[in-house]
This record gives sequence, structure tokens and C-alpha cells, in this order.
Amino acid sequence: MVTGDEQAPAFPAPRRALLKRASGAVLGLAAFGVVGCGSAAKTGQQSVKNAPQSVRSGDVALLNGLLDLERHTVAAYTAGIPLLLHPEAKTARQFLDEELEHTGELLSLIKAAKGIPIARRASYDLAHPRSAADALSLLHSLERAQITAYLGALPRLSPGTVRAAVASILTSDAQHVAILRLAQGEVGAPSAFVTGHE
Amino acid sequence: MSEAGATPRLTRRRLLALGVGSPVLAVGLEGAQLALATAAHAESGVRLADADRLRRLVSVELLMLYCYEHVLAGSLLDARSRRLITPLRAHEQAHVRVLSAHLTALGGTPPAPPASVKEADRNLARRGVAGRLGQLTGGRDALFLLLAVEKVVVGAYFVALIKLNDLQLVTLAAQIMANDAQHEALVGEALYPGDAQKAVPSGLVQGTQ
Repeated sequence: MVTGDEQAPAFPAPRRALLKRASGAVLGLAAFGVVGCGSAAKTGQQSVKNAPQSVRSGDVALLNGLLDLERHTVAAYTAGIPLLLHPEAKTARQFLDEELEHTGELLSLIKAAKGIPIARRASYDLAHPRSAADALSLLHSLERAQITAYLGALPRLSPGTVRAAVASILTSDAQHVAILRLAQGEVGAPSAFVTGHE
Repeated sequence: MSEAGATPRLTRRRLLALGVGSPVLAVGLEGAQLALATAAHAESGVRLADADRLRRLVSVELLMLYCYEHVLAGSLLDARSRRLITPLRAHEQAHVRVLSAHLTALGGTPPAPPASVKEADRNLARRGVAGRLGQLTGGRDALFLLLAVEKVVVGAYFVALIKLNDLQLVTLAAQIMANDAQHEALVGEALYPGDAQKAVPSGLVQGTQ
């Protein structure tokens, strides 16, 4: 199974794309002067360059676990999109791009901690979706699994800047769940507190 | 509320168990007392900082709730938008309720909601939101305003996650931030049906700070 993040395997390319969009969490943090310092926090490139100092090496295992889940989800979107019709297919392509953005962000955090990113698996268990409904169900369940994993990891990560960066990914996955639920004919946000256990 | 995530609570008994006072020297006991006082002071500071952050979150959630109530009380929204938006009001009420309970447990006092449209509009202006409740001209106008305020709310949680100390509050803030981001997506979906690129434009959600 193609994992999907072959499109963004190397660190520099997705970061550059991220910087172009000026939407990276690290950039957001730079606005608070929490990554880098002084003039380094003024530009995106320099802020990202300085981000490594704030990520603990002890958090690498946690971040690698999250990266593995993101790659699983990327693989599911890659496999599921051909089964979907318009407009769900278009939406799923958008979400795939965002999942790749998540893997890029996690890779940058891992590298910031001077860690080694976990190797991509040769294949992922995708439960063989055969229809659009199967694909939506698979994507929905993987997005929920990610939410649960991020919520479990958040209190164990430190410092707060890393938590916020990871929360910006969790929050994006929660948005995916809301839109996927609508596509499945369900209420978009069933609870006031997102837990991943709907 | 649990202090699970905060600095471990140092009690006199715990310090003694750790051997702080075991030599039974006067100097040791004085040192232990000083350590206790310092720890208590630090713990108090952490609680105050968390309470302040919670008060800010309750304040922005109350503004959000006021905006939903105002928009839903009128007839600006079409049926589809109303169906999408109506459940979100109850979520905001739940956020306010739970955050206020935590704030009270930390010794803080929850702020009051906006007393009028005029006051809410002043609050919106202060937070850099362009729209005004008192000047809504149609359904899309109302949805754009709700979207803008949701972004401010998400941004407030993003900052809170950097600053909160209590790990239980960190988890709670993340759960609510994720829900408010879902609201952002659903309001976006009401504005741009079927267009995820506009409804969910970014993979890293931080709101507006």
C-alpha cells in the first residue's frame, strides 16, 4: 500500500510549503516570541530554524507514535479517495493535503528534538474498503483514533509551545471528523467536548 | 479540581518523608519550613495563573454564546444554516458551565456575560472582530460574524494551551478547542456548502490571536 506521504517525505519541502502558506503552528508560536528569540522570531524561516531548542528529546517516542498514526490515515485517504464521488472526493483530497501537513509538522517537531523519525511501514491495515460508505467509515474511525491519541499525548508533552503545536493538528482532525460526519448523514459535532469517542 | 498536572504538592509530611527534616537540626527544620513556604507560594502562583487564563476563556466563550443567542433569536438564517448552527449554542453553554466550575474551584469568579448588544459589540471591536451584532444585514453576514468569533475563541485556547499549568485543564482546553474548531468548520460549511477548501482551509488550526 502506498503510504501517501511519499509526496512529502523530506523535511524541507513541506516546511517550505508551510512557510509559503504562513499557516504553520510554529509560525503561530513565533508570533508569541516563544520559538527563537529577538530578531529570530520575526521571520518564519528563522523561527522554524530556532524551533528545535524547545522540543524535548524525551517527547520523540510520543511524537513518533503520532506520526505513525498520521501515516496510517494518509494511506487510508490515498486508498479511499478513488471510491468516493464528488463532492466527497474533493473534500477528501483537501483532507489528505492537511494530513500530509500534519506529518510534515510532526517530522519538524521530531527533528527539532534531534530525534529520528520512525520509518514508514511497508503497508497499513485498511480493512479493504469497497464502497464510498466503507471509505468514509474507515476515514472517520482513523480520524477519531488520531484525536484520542493526540488527547492522550498532549498532557505528557512539554513545554506548552509544543502542546499548542500538537493541539493545532488535533483540532484540524476534529474538523475533519465534523465534515466526514456530515457526509455520512450524521450531526457534525455530537458533543461539546471532543474526545474521539463518539 | 485535581492538581494532577501541576507542581507536585509539597506537604510538611511529604517533605519529612523525603528526609528534609530528618537530621532534626534546627537549621534543617527552618530549611524545611522555607521550602514549604516557597513551594506553597509557587503553587499559589500557578493556581492564580491558571485561574486568570480560565477567566479569559470564560469571557470569550460568553461572548460567543451571546452571539449565537442573538443570531438564533432573529430570523436571518435560512433553514439549512439554522439546522447546522442551532446545536452549537448548547455546546457553548456547556463550555461556559464547565470552565466556570473549574475557575470557581481555583478561587476565581466567572465574569458576567455581555449585558447588551452594544456591550457585546464593544467586546467584538476590542477583540478585532470586524462584524457587529447590531449591524447584521442578512444570513451570510451573521455567519461571517459567527465564524470570526469562533476563530477568536480557538485562538484563545491555542494561547491557553501554551500557558496552562494544570494538566487536567490542558486536556479540557484541548477538547473544547477541538469542538470550537468543529463549529468553525460547520459555520464554514453553512457559508460554503460542499467546499471544504473554504470551510476547512488549513491543516494547522490556531484561530485568531
